[in-house]
Amino acid sequence: MSFLSTRSYLGLILVIAVLPFILPYEAIATQILIFGLFAMGYNILLGYTGLLSFGHAAFFGLGTYGAGLSLVYLKVGLFTGLLIGVTAAVLGAMAVGFLCLKRKGIYFAMLTLAFGQLFYFLALVVFDNYTGGDNGLRGVPVPPISVGGLEFSIIKSPLSFYYFAFIFCALSILIMNRILHSPFGAVLQSIRENEKRSQSCGYNTNRVKWVAFLFSAFFSGLAGSLHAVYYQLAALNTLYWTNSGTAVMMTILGGMGTFIGPFVGAGVFLLIEDVISVYTVSWQLFVGAIFMLFVLFFPLGIWGTLQEKFRLWRLRG
Amino acid sequence: MIGGISYASLITQLFMGLQIGLVYVLLAIGLSLIFGLMTVVNFAHGSFFMFGAYMGLFMMGLTGNFWVSLVFVPLATGLLGLVVERFTVRPLYGRDLNDPLLLTFGLQFVMVESVRLIWGTTGFPFDTPSALTGPVNLGFALFPLYRIFVIVITALIIFLLWVFLEKTSLGLIIRGGTRDSLMVRVLGIDLSKVWFLVFGIGTGLAGIAGVLAAPMRGVHPDMGIDMLIQAFVVVVVGGMGSLKGAVIAGILIGVVVSFTTLFYPMMGEVVIFISMAVVLLIRPSGLFGEEGLLE
Amino acid sequence: MEILKTESLVKNFGGLRAIDQVDFRLEEGQLHSIIGPNGAGKSTFFKLICGELHPDSGGIRFRGEDITALPQYAISHRGMSVAYQLTNIFPRLTTLENIRVAMQSRKTTYNFWSRKEALRDLREKSASILETVELGSKKDELACNLSHGEQRHLELGIALATEPALLLLDEPTAGMSPEDTERTIQLIRQIARGRTIILVEHKMKVVMKISDKITVLHYGAIIAEGKPEEIQANERVQEVYLKGR
Repeated sequence: MSFLSTRSYLGLILVIAVLPFILPYEAIATQILIFGLFAMGYNILLGYTGLLSFGHAAFFGLGTYGAGLSLVYLKVGLFTGLLIGVTAAVLGAMAVGFLCLKRKGIYFAMLTLAFGQLFYFLALVVFDNYTGGDNGLRGVPVPPISVGGLEFSIIKSPLSFYYFAFIFCALSILIMNRILHSPFGAVLQSIRENEKRSQSCGYNTNRVKWVAFLFSAFFSGLAGSLHAVYYQLAALNTLYWTNSGTAVMMTILGGMGTFIGPFVGAGVFLLIEDVISVYTVSWQLFVGAIFMLFVLFFPLGIWGTLQEKFRLWRLRG
Repeated sequence: MIGGISYASLITQLFMGLQIGLVYVLLAIGLSLIFGLMTVVNFAHGSFFMFGAYMGLFMMGLTGNFWVSLVFVPLATGLLGLVVERFTVRPLYGRDLNDPLLLTFGLQFVMVESVRLIWGTTGFPFDTPSALTGPVNLGFALFPLYRIFVIVITALIIFLLWVFLEKTSLGLIIRGGTRDSLMVRVLGIDLSKVWFLVFGIGTGLAGIAGVLAAPMRGVHPDMGIDMLIQAFVVVVVGGMGSLKGAVIAGILIGVVVSFTTLFYPMMGEVVIFISMAVVLLIRPSGLFGEEGLLE
Repeated sequence: MEILKTESLVKNFGGLRAIDQVDFRLEEGQLHSIIGPNGAGKSTFFKLICGELHPDSGGIRFRGEDITALPQYAISHRGMSVAYQLTNIFPRLTTLENIRVAMQSRKTTYNFWSRKEALRDLREKSASILETVELGSKKDELACNLSHGEQRHLELGIALATEPALLLLDEPTAGMSPEDTERTIQLIRQIARGRTIILVEHKMKVVMKISDKITVLHYGAIIAEGKPEEIQANERVQEVYLKGR
């Protein structure tokens, strides 16, 4: 593996450190931060373990509602709210993972989709007294945080929230990098490459997949929690299946075979959406079509293709 | 009376369940055939359902004749399915099994957004054809004639499908291919033509389900995705690749949903997912599925 | 010393009896081959022993322990390893990593905080196994880019990585040229030292050359067992192979 690809995560952190200054306005930078984290967490399962999940909106949404509900009703501090959001996502993953992993392949994918929708309906209909149903949970408070005796509000300015979220994001990138390059990460990849063989080598692959599921939900849930704090709203559409689809598309667009690809994909996806929405309300049509083209002709994704081109260039030179 | 609800209401709900269930069955059979034979999950299956409904609306606008629409819709939808298979799904043959799922996922967006572009976002009501309006006195209760019509015609379609699959040689090939595609290929049969046909049949079934469902639920760009998930749940419960399973599971789930809506209106959707979880825990291969059929 | 034993092993597939009351004993340190015409049940027997399939009735004891109900990964940990007939490697991992990850299963699964490179002795031992299977020069090559023969050797290497007491080899020379076959035979002889091996093979010459003992299966039942010379002279075996009865 080239120096560049093993250090790419550092480059990524550098780029997102200055992202608000590169892009026209910081709202989109914040979105990229949040969804980049979502997509990278998602890729633990897809790119590294080889499991296609279509229900990850559930974990993003559990993060959103976990944080939102606790901040609104339990009036907890900010860090606690985020922690509760992440915990909700992981608990949800424990149950959903257990059930969905009873099947493999495409079956698994559709099951995750169905369970994702279950959470959506629970929020929309069953618990709508608490969740606000269709409207979502509005007015999520963002309590100030105290660091070293000083109190400040992270939503004082758009930039202050960005850097608050950036710290979580950068830490997550570092942690994910560690996890995926650890012995555990090696097992995940062996499962992706040949699950039966991995099993016959002595790995309890079902349990390993379940643990990978939990890690993936952790980071997706963190992204969701940040989302709730940023918008001060637990939005219902975070649980809708289209949000799962967003994670899939971003990851594949960017390159599921690489570490930072999903983040790149999130950036490209959101920028395309931003640009196309100016001209037409049917941006989903274009994104869907682009996605189909990528599946057919560019399965490596943007970053994956770039990496491959670079690798070939180095071989020749 | 049971629990404050009359027997008449209960039996009416049963019929409702039967009707809802049979529509699920049409979708589930298409999904199951396409998946069983091609191992392709047609994520856009719900969109073909929606497309069928819109085609029905279009034809009604054009001719004012429901019967013409009923014949036209599955043909139009099936034709679209053939085009899709030929140009977008077939190139993926031999690649990762997840790729067609991803592709049809993108396709789904394209179809729904195209419909939104052409026909708008809010959707339309669909008038029940005048010949089929009004209630029928079943003795114990009144039941909408249209829903009885749906029951009859879906049962007819399912029967014709059964005859086709069981009694014709092409049907035999399809069934054989569902169980062991390698064997069928070895026998020298050009599977790509069979797949082509099956994709067309499957999507055609989705289309006709859409136009049949239209008078009951209206026509709306988002009508497809919930149906897709529900159809898939039916396939999981009934057992992948089992037509009998799709029929029985579809009716069963339709009835369960119908009764749940009567007693606990809120939980209608949720109950579908709970049944699926239960089946997964007790019998992962579905009620009539075979062990290890693509796990 | 007996290392493996099956008692009245039965496996049915629908109406077909694939394994029919098989009582099999394996002595430690031997290279024991299983032969039989197509459909005799060799690969089914294989899968039953390593835990990929479970018998309908009967038992399997490995190193004194009843392993009949154990899942495959647990049986692997008890000292059994398989090299498959259809090459079963990790395609997009490097050759070295293929072996290393197999070996890692003995050390750790859930360590997610160390860098995997930090497990030095795993890397070193994997490299030496690569040397043993003659793939030392290809250690950074992606497994999918190896030639067929090289992949078969990698297959063997993966099976060796877990330091098995019992090694199951399913047609290791399948699809190989005569030169490759000869090299593989030498390799098998080498790794057979200090290990017990069950070999399933079609090539009679290979079997006769390297086996200590041979078991002949036919329609899921053992019809003959003994040293290579005995089996060669056995009339029933000749009948079954030549006349297919």
